Amino acid sequence: MDIIKQFLFSFMSTVGFAVLFNCPKNSVLYAGAVGSIGWLFYYITYAVTKNNVAAPFIGALTVGILGEILARKNKKPATIYITAGIIPLVPGAGAYYTMLHLIENEFSLAASKGVETFFIAAAISTGIIISSIFSKSIKRVRQKE
Amino acid sequence: MIYLKDSDKEEVKKLLVLASLAGRVMLKAGAETYRVEDTVIRICQSRKDIQHVDAFVVPTGIFISLEYKGELISYIKRIKTISIDLNKITLVNEFSRNFVSSNMSIDEGINEIKRISKIKTYPILIKSFFGAIASGFSCLLFKGTFFDFVATLLVSFTVTYLLNYISKLKSSFFIDKFIASVFISIMSLLLVKIGIGNNLDKVIIGSIMSLVPGVAITNAIRDTMSGDFLSGLSRGMEAIFTALAIAFGVGIVLFFS
Repeated sequence: MDIIKQFLFSFMSTVGFAVLFNCPKNSVLYAGAVGSIGWLFYYITYAVTKNNVAAPFIGALTVGILGEILARKNKKPATIYITAGIIPLVPGAGAYYTMLHLIENEFSLAASKGVETFFIAAAISTGIIISSIFSKSIKRVRQKE
Repeated sequence: MIYLKDSDKEEVKKLLVLASLAGRVMLKAGAETYRVEDTVIRICQSRKDIQHVDAFVVPTGIFISLEYKGELISYIKRIKTISIDLNKITLVNEFSRNFVSSNMSIDEGINEIKRISKIKTYPILIKSFFGAIASGFSCLLFKGTFFDFVATLLVSFTVTYLLNYISKLKSSFFIDKFIASVFISIMSLLLVKIGIGNNLDKVIIGSIMSLVPGVAITNAIRDTMSGDFLSGLSRGMEAIFTALAIAFGVGIVLFFS
């Protein structure tokens, strides 16, 4: 039940961001699907490992791979699926709490929250980069054959 | 290889203008650095007798140079504002593929790019509606209650609508984000006081989701990791200062509340 709820919420949220980013009309639902499946992988990984960095990495990797597959299939750049798809994973709350701690003069709390936020962002980028490198090398191998 | 119609310098110059225009539309729409470089180089190399094409792209400008019959020609284009527009990235991508593989004349190409650059985004009411949905469901993902969801919907609908007009003043991204986040915090405070919305932090976090530089941060790290250090730095600065603007905006209101 909880999983279905998470899926629905992240789907709606990604679709919303896709429209905000002016995603082409026929790709909005794809972007939503990519984002929500990525979020599910994130959610499950987090539930299993309780790791703040591994979970967004797995989520972003899923988003990246799905985005590259759809890009290949629909002959469109992968960014249009990935940009909106990673938004649910992005550490917006982390950035907010970092700044809140700063205002409350809790500098050590702010530092630890800030570092965590940075590492989550780095994990997301790594996931996306790995998936795009994979797709590039598959393309190269196919061209050689 | 397609031969230039009357292979003279004017045509090559026009080709360079076309490539830089295509690059500018993509970069303004928030495309990745390597994609813009690829597109620009591919467009230039598609015509005959052009050698040593190279492009250097950073988020604030495009530099292209090429050699034509022993003569060096270069072109610089300065980019100011970047706002994400995935539709334009897709269209320019398709256009560059068409242009490279067909015998399209350069004037036709320039007209096509100008047409693409003028394509409008979704109407503002639809954008605000989906902005509200995006933030509202983000708030639910952060385990907000149903009332938080309603409050976030109201706040972010108004703010997305407002931000559209604020950004038309063309002041600076810092001021825009600052005003928007001040507005978000005041409105969230009021709504929570009235009783729509239970947790102030959940409502604010949900509503700032559309301002938070998540895309900028990930793109900055991505550029840096793939070796485009200058783009990474430039996008990183943008991300840090956007986060600061939001922090100042929310912080000032929370401080005086």
